[in-house]
Amino acid sequence: MKSYLAILRGSYMIGLVYRYGFLFNIAGNVLYMSVTYFLWRSIYQGRETLNGLTFDQTYIYVALGSAIFILLKTYVDWQLAFDIREGMIATYLIKPIDLQLYNLFNSFGYALMSLSAITVPTFLLLVFAFKIQIPLGIGLVLFPISLLLAYLLSFCFDYFVGLLCFYTESIWGLSITKDIIVTVLSGALIPLQFFPDAIQKVLMWLPFQAIYYTPLTMIAQPNLSWETFLSMLGVQLFWVVALFGLTRLFYDQAVKVLRISGG
Amino acid sequence: MHSLLDYLRLYFIIEAQYIKARMQYRADFIISSIGMFFSSLATLGVFWIIFDSIPDLAGWTFMQLVFIYGFYMIAISPMQILFDHIWQIRFHVQQGTFLKYYFRPLNMMFYYMSEMFDIKGLTQLAAGVVILIYASLQLGLEWTLARIALLLLTLFSASLVQISITVMAGCAAFWVLDAYPVLGLAWKLREFAPYPMNIFDGAFRFAFTYIIPLGFVAFYPSQLFLQPQDVSPLMYFSPLVGIGLFALTYWVWTLGVNSYTGTGS
Repeated sequence: MKSYLAILRGSYMIGLVYRYGFLFNIAGNVLYMSVTYFLWRSIYQGRETLNGLTFDQTYIYVALGSAIFILLKTYVDWQLAFDIREGMIATYLIKPIDLQLYNLFNSFGYALMSLSAITVPTFLLLVFAFKIQIPLGIGLVLFPISLLLAYLLSFCFDYFVGLLCFYTESIWGLSITKDIIVTVLSGALIPLQFFPDAIQKVLMWLPFQAIYYTPLTMIAQPNLSWETFLSMLGVQLFWVVALFGLTRLFYDQAVKVLRISGG
Repeated sequence: MHSLLDYLRLYFIIEAQYIKARMQYRADFIISSIGMFFSSLATLGVFWIIFDSIPDLAGWTFMQLVFIYGFYMIAISPMQILFDHIWQIRFHVQQGTFLKYYFRPLNMMFYYMSEMFDIKGLTQLAAGVVILIYASLQLGLEWTLARIALLLLTLFSASLVQISITVMAGCAAFWVLDAYPVLGLAWKLREFAPYPMNIFDGAFRFAFTYIIPLGFVAFYPSQLFLQPQDVSPLMYFSPLVGIGLFALTYWVWTLGVNSYTGTGS
């Protein structure tokens, strides 16, 4: 455990080096939040509610979605692909560490960095500059837990795609396909309530919604019942355990095809 | 000096070799093309879902937005296909490998950009053409020879706008340590280009028209075809925007190239 914490600390410190990039990320977020504000304002066009959501609820959902977007991107897929292509992976395999946990803690260091440098400032801007009233409720309390579970799920997807590189030795296409599947099906761009009913039903049975829809709903509609929130967290937890297990099994298969040329 | 024809011939020779090399990774090409296809349709998917709940967006029907989207996809393709190497500029500048581009009797921007030809961008281009034709059939637009010529001209200009915005962002590499965040921001902005510009208020509409002219990538030129009776005659001069902007970008690039001093290794 101690060695994993050291890895976490290291990647946090590396993240610090790229401070000035954060400004651009925050600028990007502010721009995105402004543009989505205009977009959703013209979608609502003075209507009280759409699909059971008020404008404020939808806007908080979408704006916060963009704030946690950078946080939930672990880049583990790119990192693994790089390590596999360059042969660096061999140096990890001979160390007494677990590849999955190594990558988890490594990416989590960056995540803590971007949480403090990007997500929190964006959130504060949302409240103070955009004057968005965050409604109070139990959802708000459960949000951090839900966000952590969402991070673990997002990690599983990225790790899985990274492992696929053992076979393909290339990442761009895989990663971009995964990104688009996750962002659309998880309700990162639009609340799931807007999807046609049949599609919505299917999506609720898939793991994607647990990444964006669940935490964002906790913030946007924090006054739903306890039972609703607990079952949402339960579903998240189920997917985390399932996907962690599945990616571990997959790793055992994938590592067999590894070839390293030269050294 | 080389003539334009020489450059064209040279470009084909370079890209033929490049494509041969890339074809070693056939699986990568197929997966990347699929990924490209779906990711370029994402915003359109969002519009499709939203239109399940509303009849129009700021006065635009879904099919009109599809037309604008098709225009957008074609307009951003030349950037993707021909200028993709701009993404690598920070590595070349940081590691000093950029120096090699000074040592050929060729136009530097040409030589630099010719080192990459993004084949998967062709998927995007093809999808854009299909979408544009589909939408214009659905909308019952009338195409005369003159209108088709106007379409090609506006597409040419719109693609220059997109190229200029991205390449100029990439040129930041000559002056700052890591141009990636600047490029990333420019890339994010690109996603707003297919939005109807009339959803924006004063300052934003002004910025997207005159400062970072995203509106000229798709929305303004599309109006010439969607509502030819309503557009101001000034819009027919919009092709000049792309040419002017590219000239400016080329000037910035030249400044950057001339100020670069290498890394000393």
